[in-house]
Amino acid sequence: MQITFRQVSHTYQPGSPFQSTALSNIDFTVESGEFLALIGHTGSGKSTLAQHINGLLKPTSGQVLIDGSDIHADGYSKKTLRQKVGMVFQYAEHQLFEETVEKDIAFGPKNLGLEEAEIAVRVQEAMEKVGLEYDEFKEKSPFELSGGQMRRVAIAGVLAMRPEVLILDEPAAGLDPMSREEMLQLIKALHEKGTTIVMISHSMDDVARFATRAIVLKKGAIAMDGTPAEIFRHADELEDMGLDVPVICKLARDMQKAGLPLEDGIYEEDKLYEALLHLWKGGAADAQ
Amino acid sequence: MLNDITLGQYYPVKSMVHSLDPRVKIVLLILALVTVFLPENMLLYIPIAAFILLTARLSNVPFKLLLKGIKPLRFILIFTVVLNVFFLPGETVWLEWEFIRITKEAVLTAIMFGIRLVLLVMFSSLLTLTTAPVALTDGLERLLSPLAKIRFPAHEMAMMMTIALRFIPTLLEEADKIMKAQSARGADFESGNLMARAKAMVPLLVPLFVSAFRRAGDLAMAMEARCYHGGKGRTRLHVLKMKRNDYLALLFMALLLAAVIVGNRFL
Ligand SMILES: Nc1ncnc2c1ncn2[C@@H]1O[C@H](COP(=O)(O)OP(=O)(O)OP(=O)(O)O)[C@@H](O)[C@H]1O
Ligand SMILES: [Mg+2]
Repeated sequence: MQITFRQVSHTYQPGSPFQSTALSNIDFTVESGEFLALIGHTGSGKSTLAQHINGLLKPTSGQVLIDGSDIHADGYSKKTLRQKVGMVFQYAEHQLFEETVEKDIAFGPKNLGLEEAEIAVRVQEAMEKVGLEYDEFKEKSPFELSGGQMRRVAIAGVLAMRPEVLILDEPAAGLDPMSREEMLQLIKALHEKGTTIVMISHSMDDVARFATRAIVLKKGAIAMDGTPAEIFRHADELEDMGLDVPVICKLARDMQKAGLPLEDGIYEEDKLYEALLHLWKGGAADAQ
Repeated sequence: MLNDITLGQYYPVKSMVHSLDPRVKIVLLILALVTVFLPENMLLYIPIAAFILLTARLSNVPFKLLLKGIKPLRFILIFTVVLNVFFLPGETVWLEWEFIRITKEAVLTAIMFGIRLVLLVMFSSLLTLTTAPVALTDGLERLLSPLAKIRFPAHEMAMMMTIALRFIPTLLEEADKIMKAQSARGADFESGNLMARAKAMVPLLVPLFVSAFRRAGDLAMAMEARCYHGGKGRTRLHVLKMKRNDYLALLFMALLLAAVIVGNRFL
């Protein structure tokens, strides 16, 4: 499945004194199987962009195409769209409402009009995916769970719709380090099984570890678009935008400044390790 | 999705009307409402309408926005006017057919009713459009504070209103967010019959209430942590003081009221 943004602009509350342009002339294409990270400063338009992908927001101008067809054209089924493109909101746990975990997860599949048996299978499958024991949790009220567990229920609720594309708005925000890592591993596993991922993140380390591509937004426009390697080569520009860079990136740069002849754009631990090893071996060879 | 509520929305610009003392503006509104209900002759609405137009001009609020406040009331408006035309008694018959009887007096009274309603809403909108909610409750608290003598909890009332007003946008935003989140899971809030639609609200209302209660708890805790203990002995950050414009505005309002009373006698 292919997602294309064509000159998409979005203005909130146009014509009122509170008018604000959140996106201007966004152009990009995401192919099946990508793991796209959306990064940018607070208020740069990441969430706004994400909500355009499954048609929750309509572009003020421009088009959003899925497999070549405009999602706001007459006759394009919103239901199919919502099934294909799953969306996990920031603090997704705030959307839970049912009496039991099982019922809450079944909400999406039910809206799709699936049969009871099919729904049951999907609920169980989704709970397993997010690491919630089915028999232990199905009868519990979502409101008696911990924050991290609630978020998993919310994500299971989206996964139960079996989306081809999954959009996640800061899925790891506010979680403790362990839940955080589990959440990221879950997303990684989904990606490996073929789901296209669009993840909004403030953590450059996560972007460096998982993304295959990153788009940097600045004041509602695309400032950079490329692989993490390409993006992190411009570490200084990122920092000028008020963004962080991965720890390894900083370390490599400091080493460069201290006089080590490292190449630009190293942001992964093993790459740095290899480069250092190479230097050391080379140095050792020189000394002999 | 939920941005169409004008009545009670502040329009933040600078103007003479915005900078009036909120107490004065509340008193002005009360006087204006009295003035709107006094006229017995249609002609007397001309100076009142002129007064509104002038105030709207001075307030830098687009006239369109002022009219937008009437929009949600249009059905009530049409309903009252029509009802009055048909059912008010009168002498000069304009039209009589079967059981329908329309008289000149009824039509005039009905129009008068309509005008009153529109002016009423416009005056109220003018107040809320030009006064920040916090200033409004502050003014109200001060106007009501003499009632503390008879143990009326003016401060607590005002604080409750301030908090309620403060959280309306927050709750709207929250509702919008939850609505989107449930739509993303295929929820449908727009189609179906009344029953289906009411049922569709459950996934919206439950999380909304949960978060409202959570917020209320947090806020109460945060207020206590900062030693809030009610109105007793509290000093103010913004001390209200009447200025020349405030007196002028009161004077104009009084003149208008007097003009209408005098007009009632002679027209
Ligand atoms: N419902 C709304 N009404 C008006 N303006 C909005 C609304 N939602 C967002 N905005 C504005 O649009 C801009 C982009 O907001 P958006 O939420 O997309 O940013 P973001 O990149 O997701 O930020 P964050 O990192 O804080 O989540 C901001 O300037 C914001 O003030
Ligand atoms: Mg956001």
